[in-house]
Amino acid sequence: MKNTKITLGSQVREGISNTLRICMREFQLIFKDVGVMILVFAVPLIYPMLYSFIYYPEVVRDLPIAVVDLSKSSASRQYIRDLDATPDVKVANSSISMAEAVNMFKKRQVRGIVQIPETFTSDIALGRQTTVSVYADMEFFLYYKAIVTASSFVSLETGKHIQINNLLDKGLTERQAEITAEPFRMVDNAMANRAGGFASYGIPAALILIIQQTLIIAIGIMAGTARERHIFGTLVPLDRKRMGTLRLVIGKTAAYFTIYALLCVYMLGMIPEWFGYGQDASLTELTALITPFILSSIFMGLTLSVIFKNRESSMMLYLFTSIPLLFLSGIIWPLSNFSPVWLAVREIFPSSNAIFGYIKMNSLGATIFETRKEIMSLWIQTGVYFLTACFAYGYQVNYTAHLRSELASHPYREIRKRIAEEM
Amino acid sequence: MKSIIKSIRQVAIREVNRMTSRGLYILVVLVLPILSILFFASLFKEGVPTKMPIAIVDLDQTAISRRAARNIDVTPLSMVTEYLQSENEAMSELRSGNIYGFVVIPKNLQADILASRQPVVSYYYQNGFLIAGGLMQNDLTLILHTLSGGINKMKRETMGQPEDYIMAQVQPVQVSTHQLFNPTANYAVYIATIVLPIMLQLFILLITVYSIGIEIKEKTSHEWLHYSNKSIYVALSGKLLPYTVIFFVVMMFQNFVLYKILQVPMHTSIGWLMFVSLLYVLAYQAIGVFCIGLLPMMRHSLNLAAFYGILALTLCGFSFPIESMPAVFQYWASGFPVRHFMHIFQSQILAGFELRYSMISYLYLMLFLFVPFTILNRLKSALIYQNFIEIVHKH
Repeated sequence: MKNTKITLGSQVREGISNTLRICMREFQLIFKDVGVMILVFAVPLIYPMLYSFIYYPEVVRDLPIAVVDLSKSSASRQYIRDLDATPDVKVANSSISMAEAVNMFKKRQVRGIVQIPETFTSDIALGRQTTVSVYADMEFFLYYKAIVTASSFVSLETGKHIQINNLLDKGLTERQAEITAEPFRMVDNAMANRAGGFASYGIPAALILIIQQTLIIAIGIMAGTARERHIFGTLVPLDRKRMGTLRLVIGKTAAYFTIYALLCVYMLGMIPEWFGYGQDASLTELTALITPFILSSIFMGLTLSVIFKNRESSMMLYLFTSIPLLFLSGIIWPLSNFSPVWLAVREIFPSSNAIFGYIKMNSLGATIFETRKEIMSLWIQTGVYFLTACFAYGYQVNYTAHLRSELASHPYREIRKRIAEEM
Repeated sequence: MKSIIKSIRQVAIREVNRMTSRGLYILVVLVLPILSILFFASLFKEGVPTKMPIAIVDLDQTAISRRAARNIDVTPLSMVTEYLQSENEAMSELRSGNIYGFVVIPKNLQADILASRQPVVSYYYQNGFLIAGGLMQNDLTLILHTLSGGINKMKRETMGQPEDYIMAQVQPVQVSTHQLFNPTANYAVYIATIVLPIMLQLFILLITVYSIGIEIKEKTSHEWLHYSNKSIYVALSGKLLPYTVIFFVVMMFQNFVLYKILQVPMHTSIGWLMFVSLLYVLAYQAIGVFCIGLLPMMRHSLNLAAFYGILALTLCGFSFPIESMPAVFQYWASGFPVRHFMHIFQSQILAGFELRYSMISYLYLMLFLFVPFTILNRLKSALIYQNFIEIVHKH
């Protein structure tokens, strides 16, 4: 009884030391490979900075528009001044014909046109409803939003003013008039990203996506390079023994996890602080979400890596997913409009739930309990991909062992011949 | 001349043979681009988001508040999925991601309105998402203004004002929004028309770099040059020609999906569409050649191409307008063919403006075709001397 205990103990000890050795070897290989170093360090360090600078102004301000003023009255000029005073638009030209305005639009000198009707003043005087036409293009969602927001705001304010004046004429007191025009007040509360800054929409998603994509591509490059380096193109080296499946998977995972845990301090801690993105989540909450995210990404990467036969394969075959994944996360197109098929595909990739969860925690202040759906999904992915990674690596380990035993039975000369063919 | 065409044909045939020898080529050139087209077409086929879930917190529970609650449910954009008891509960639902927004109808709404105390109605929406946040804000404001107008009208009716007069008084200035040159208010269309070319450029860049880089890496470049009579022009033309043809066909398929299936308005002739598609494919092939010529070691040029290709999503300016970016990036953005392609799409194809308004973008696209000439010598010497081969230690 005592005997087995000792063997078990020494086995565990040996297992741990082997795992550590594999982990250190993975570190060595990563640090020796410039291409992988660029992917694992330069990309996560530079991209967040670059994006933050590109989106630095964050919001569209003073969008140039043309106003076609057919009324040319003091009331219409007041309307134009009010429009110009909004932060969203700037009236570039206000005394032109529709044809001229369209021409300016074609040359991209203005991005929208507002037309004030000839009857603007008379409509108001006679108590008729007047219609201001807004021409905007949908080609840029932000431009469209700016023009519509500004013109609706000014029209509502002008309308309220007219209404109150008319009511005052009817003999109401100012307070009565105001309450009639506006029976209740409305308070707009934008949650998360209150200022509506563009960087705050895009950067959190980009940060999470960069982590997953660089991890999977880097693991793929390492695997492809290993196959190119090893004789007979095996993933697991032929000449080394004691490379058990579990030791390989855990050892490699430990190496990547260490690197990415450190990178997260920079990407999810420092970048949001420097550039003022949402940072409502505490360290505990972020850890609860990011730990299963990194683990599932690594296991997914290890699983996929066995199909990459060459160094370039992962870049060639996997990079393109970055753009669809951004859309699958649900931050651009609302999830309520996804078909069941794409909702299912969405669940394959850790980034989808991680992006959603990260935005919820960091920008809306969701607690771990309110993010339980995402965290649970990530742990399920971690479990599933751990099993697939073990299965995939187990197959490779067996293949190598099989090849080794097969070669052992061959005469030396024959092996040399086969190696020569391989080279 | 005849011999040149013959060599180009030989090199092209050699390339087609190489393409069919490895699965990777077929995947990157055909399978993945077509899958991407189908993915985006299917994702955006609905056009405008509908039935986004929202909640109502009715703390008043009176006739007016219930009418308000009913009115909130009428717009097609949103759908009331939950009636909640408290603001806290609704906030938690918003944070959990189950709803995109909610309206809080305060206690004593009806009493306050009748007593002219001007109560406050608050609405909350998730603004962490660009499109959903913007749409939600518009939708909730619209709903509440309609409600406010209704109460205003009721009050005036009790004052004995005539109905048509009331209508004009409640909203003296009305805004009617028009789409300038395209009648559909369809965001999906605008996203899909730009995202699909961005996907395609990624594949063009990668495979161009790969197909040349692999000759250097696997030391087959001498054979390649031999087939092309040692002319780099013949070598490149022959090698790239099969890809030009395939990507052009893929791009026309993409146009078919966009303009025929997704019904994007197209105000130009099929000839121009083909011309701009061809130019787009060629421009990106030229940039691919430039990448591998600049860094003949494939591992580095692939990284460069990937960096450049992914950045196109940001710097083409369809998400965030270029004009609002810092000046440095405005210049940098000109270095992306997709940006000029987008101009042509918006001006000539979608809006149907005269050619002169997109002429400059065509010139830019053609300019890219000359970029490879800057590195041709470097590329040729890399092919001849094979001095950019990574040293692989075989164990």
